[in-house]
Amino acid sequence: MSVVETPATRRTGGSTPHRASGRATRTRRRRQGSGLPWLLSVPTLLLLAGLLGYPLVRMVVLSFQNMRLRELISGRTPPWVGLDNYTRVLSDSVFWTVVGRTVAFTAVAVIISVVIGLAIALLMRRVAHGVRMLMIVAMMFVWAMPQLVAAQAFRWITDSDFGVLNYLLDMLPGVHYQNHSWFVNPWQGWSVITTLVVWAGIPFLAITLNAGLTQVPKELIEAATVDGATFWQALRNIILPILKPLLTIVTTLSVIWDFGLFTQNWALRDGHPEPEYQTLATYSYTQAFGQSRYSLGSAISVITVLLMLGVMAFYIRQMFKIGEVD
Amino acid sequence: MKRKIVAAAAIAATLLGAAACGSKTDNSPTTSASGAVDGKGKTLKVWLMIDAQSGWKGVVDDASQRFTAATGAQVNVEYQEWANHLTKLDATLAGNDVPDVIELGNTEFPKYVFSQAFAAINPADYENSGTWLQGLKGACDFEGKTYCVPYYAGARVLIYRTDLFKKAGIAAAPKTYDEFLSDADKLQATQKSDAKFGAVYMPGQYWYAAMSWVKASGGDIAKQDGQKWVGQLSQPSSVAGLQKWVDMAKKYSKADPTKNENDQAGIFAQGEAGMFYGNAWEQGAAEQVKKDPNDPNSKLVDTKVKGKLAAAPMPEIPSFLGGSNLGVTAKSQNKQLAAQWIKYFTDSTSMAGLVKANALPNSTALLDKAAADNPTIAPAALAAKSTWFTPNAEKWADVEKGNILQTMLSDILTGKKSVADGAKWADDQINTTLNDN
Repeated sequence: MSVVETPATRRTGGSTPHRASGRATRTRRRRQGSGLPWLLSVPTLLLLAGLLGYPLVRMVVLSFQNMRLRELISGRTPPWVGLDNYTRVLSDSVFWTVVGRTVAFTAVAVIISVVIGLAIALLMRRVAHGVRMLMIVAMMFVWAMPQLVAAQAFRWITDSDFGVLNYLLDMLPGVHYQNHSWFVNPWQGWSVITTLVVWAGIPFLAITLNAGLTQVPKELIEAATVDGATFWQALRNIILPILKPLLTIVTTLSVIWDFGLFTQNWALRDGHPEPEYQTLATYSYTQAFGQSRYSLGSAISVITVLLMLGVMAFYIRQMFKIGEVD
Repeated sequence: MKRKIVAAAAIAATLLGAAACGSKTDNSPTTSASGAVDGKGKTLKVWLMIDAQSGWKGVVDDASQRFTAATGAQVNVEYQEWANHLTKLDATLAGNDVPDVIELGNTEFPKYVFSQAFAAINPADYENSGTWLQGLKGACDFEGKTYCVPYYAGARVLIYRTDLFKKAGIAAAPKTYDEFLSDADKLQATQKSDAKFGAVYMPGQYWYAAMSWVKASGGDIAKQDGQKWVGQLSQPSSVAGLQKWVDMAKKYSKADPTKNENDQAGIFAQGEAGMFYGNAWEQGAAEQVKKDPNDPNSKLVDTKVKGKLAAAPMPEIPSFLGGSNLGVTAKSQNKQLAAQWIKYFTDSTSMAGLVKANALPNSTALLDKAAADNPTIAPAALAAKSTWFTPNAEKWADVEKGNILQTMLSDILTGKKSVADGAKWADDQINTTLNDN
């Protein structure tokens, strides 16, 4: 935002504007040069319309039709069915179970990863420089690992026949974990999936929050310590309020990512997740491409987009808020 | 989420856009494979499954050479992986540049035949068409026409450890189901000290096996009643079969109840089981593995069970007749050439090559000769005489892809549902899927 404003500010004569004149420039800019910014954004807008807009429109159109394999292959226009797909999805208890599961998973995974991410970021402020670099490098490796590769590795670790996890647990005296299947009990299975998601999500959170923590003035903490504040008091009353905008953004981003969970449960269940391992993304994919109900899958995706829009709106509002503070 | 949805939408949109340019293929005439076709300068695109590359690439090359000599057309064979090959196929068929010949599993064919993906062929043009295996041919028939050519089959047999049988004092392969159970007991007793050992390796989502037990008890998966399909798993005889399978698996198997049979040969090769139920070629897969699984020419390495395996028909359990068929795509620009290539690839010469590579030929007339020529597949050839096949319903492939049977089996094996409840649930799912429009 400030980048955009600089030339306009300069045009007013280079005088350091105080608040009132600043507002005046902004209104004038809006009146005079409204054509140029639009012209400059045309390539971007075209690209967005082509890459995002067109598929989105086709998806919405598809959700009001009934496209099956026969129509797909022959190229005939699928019959229009109005809201049939939506009524079918929304009145299906399986769909609502999947929604509930996706929301619950998102809540649990986001809370765990943000808390651990913040804890690691705080730890990084306290350790020696070398150790901090080591932590960053280690986390970069985790971050750089493709989701599918990580999921495959976790699948092997938890494999009932060859998995190293069962092997290690079995070495404990009195514990029998030979041939233990981690995905019979959905609570255990989801623990594995959540561990994987949290593990892969922490680097981004920890590194970003660590960067945010460097902005917390040392003097404030020192002053608080002198006044007898404990660590928890300092955390609650000084660090968290300063970190709040950043924390909100990374939390919202995590919600968006975790809500779209696909790769992890898909790969850990070997490409055919059982009903209790379906999330909205896999459910829509199985309906569309597994069962060739392309229209039904589209309807599920549209509903998912609408659900996500709430979170997105919050995220975008927060972004603008931060822009205004600057 | 957004990115994933957009990606899915983009794929769907591409498919839709491409589909819009496709041509209608209704009432196209039957494609003939007889007579001379001049294919000079043309290249035929063929999609075969990976088994052909790893098992009988020589047969493919030989058929292509004979085809090229006769027609002058070149052949470009691409090998596909089983996992998600249908998704790739759907996307390809929606476009215009489609392969001319496609191999699909026999249970996958009805859906595509119904959706008009394949052109009708004339069975009389092909060798042995009078004696094609019914389990393969059934998937090709639709409204009085034939839409594919049987390619090869596999029947499941009992594969067992001869050394462990000897150790347990068992002289020969079981002849009755009761003998099979008592042999399992004996194996279990001799290997008592090994906590990982299970007399039978039976993964929980191995539905081809479980359904064979259902068939053995006189049960069925689904039946056609007028225009509707009705799930039959909750019928008493089916439930009895499921119960029999569950009792056996619970008592003798240490396999993961949430795994399917895809890597059973590899797991069995670790030496922690006495018997397993698999395709004839899985005996070889358990005894030797490729040093580098990604390299089709890689050296074979012996496993722990090399030279210790033998196969026999599974007593009193009819086998599912698995296999593949070949079809000429409706959108192919070279239909006649495609039909000719299939003719060469499924004639008696090619079938003899397949038999050598431990696959069963496509015709009942060739089964006995196959058993005599290749002792390894003799038990499978025997088993192929008593087989069953999945319901010949248009939407059957959706039941498989929907994991309905797999989920039910996992649930009843782990006690999440009783056998009766699981069967009832599966019937409901099968009814909705097969009758869905």
